[in-house]
Amino acid sequence: MPKTMPLVGNEFVSGFRLQTEWATLIAAAFFFGKIGSGLFLMSVFLTNSWLGALVGLLIVLVGKGGAHLLYLGRPERFWRGLMKPGTSWVARGFWAMMIMMVSGTLFLISPAGSAASSVFALIAGLSAFVVAIYDGFLMNSSPSIPLWNTAMMPVLCLFYSLLGGTTLTLFLIEFGFTEVAIATVFLSNMEIVLLITNLIVIGLYLLSMTNATAAAKESLRLLVSGTYALPFYVLALGFGLIFTLLMSYFVGTAGGAGVVGLITAADLVGHYFLFYLLLRVGVYKPVLGQLTM
Amino acid sequence: MHLGMVIDLKRCVGCQACTIACKSENGTPPEVLFTKVLEQVAGEYPIVKKKFIPVLCNHCEDAPCVRVCPTGATTKREDGIVLVDNNKCIGCRACYVACPYKNRIFLKKGSLKNGYHGKQLTPYELVKYPKWQEGVVLKCTFCVERVDQGLDPSCVQTCPADARIFGDLSNPESKVSRLIRQRGGFQPLSEDNTEPSVYYIE
Repeated sequence: MPKTMPLVGNEFVSGFRLQTEWATLIAAAFFFGKIGSGLFLMSVFLTNSWLGALVGLLIVLVGKGGAHLLYLGRPERFWRGLMKPGTSWVARGFWAMMIMMVSGTLFLISPAGSAASSVFALIAGLSAFVVAIYDGFLMNSSPSIPLWNTAMMPVLCLFYSLLGGTTLTLFLIEFGFTEVAIATVFLSNMEIVLLITNLIVIGLYLLSMTNATAAAKESLRLLVSGTYALPFYVLALGFGLIFTLLMSYFVGTAGGAGVVGLITAADLVGHYFLFYLLLRVGVYKPVLGQLTM
Repeated sequence: MHLGMVIDLKRCVGCQACTIACKSENGTPPEVLFTKVLEQVAGEYPIVKKKFIPVLCNHCEDAPCVRVCPTGATTKREDGIVLVDNNKCIGCRACYVACPYKNRIFLKKGSLKNGYHGKQLTPYELVKYPKWQEGVVLKCTFCVERVDQGLDPSCVQTCPADARIFGDLSNPESKVSRLIRQRGGFQPLSEDNTEPSVYYIE
């Protein structure tokens, strides 16, 4: 489809149309879901931090659950969202979140090292993994917005979740909230590797869009050179990944709690804005193709 | 039976009579349009060509809105009409985002308080508005109440140019099937494999 089709709003004109329904609150729900589940996974399977697991659960419950409830048009019927996990990623995500909450709580109250604790950790870990990546499948499952309709979305969600979990774990350690079973330097190196990985994944994702449909290219144009270019370069990439990477590499945990706090803030701001911007630049294809003379 | 519509782009004059007939039939609040006619222009003055494209819910065979709905509020009848149950919808708008045609409308909070003439609802609005609920997603129903009585949807009946034709797509002898066959009917965004029940002919 030629690029000459206009980007239109609600006017009675055929053209590319911006996705407007999923924005701030859905981005917040995705964000809290990913960092909460990432922190939970890190705490249960890597650092063995009880507090980290608890904070992860609370972030998912209050942050993600709260944002979803605030967004719903009829929040009093939220339970109906569990009805069709067979076909709907919204329902699957909701189920995963519920299972994560229940099994995660049982894991936290079980005696450490017991068989029950291991079983609950496994169930909670699997459901946390689904919570971390299902946003990607949710966005990917719809053919309407070509920017999201790619297998790269779940991958991007997974790596951002792991990055958020690592960053928050380092934050909890540096501020003296928790002690972990592994060396902090390992977590610092893991953070650097994840930051580089995320930069590569974003690069590949955007590169794949250059060869996609006209609507995907229009989304890409909005993101890299249009209305949303400034927050994309400054907040999502500059602050969220490059500044964080440089600070982690050249200063890192040696800089003390203040530096780790700054890295955490930058990482989380970048994380939120990346997904917020990906939601905002979603573009629908025109109903019929280009009119020719 | 598989109900569907054929839209003859050569006949459409862009009068928006279908848009008004739909609003009149359904009594939808301001900013809610189940159907409308889009304009598309090609060329530059003085050599210009204009086309009108009526759009509405395509009642797709493989409807993404049905698939993504977490509550089962969006369902498909045996005759192919896709409907939303207001009492089951939670307003998550997954269907809104998933519809490639952007033919769903979210009824925001407060939408039913004000009518077309300010805060005082007209008697017509007072009669029509109780069937709607705020905080849920709405869409064209192919005027299901009329169809169940054997009538055509309101937009079809009103079109002065006879540009909209409604009928049974599964019957090869129906007018819609013949038009699709004879004039090369095509579905909008067929590459998305949603199998719309609305066809266009040129």
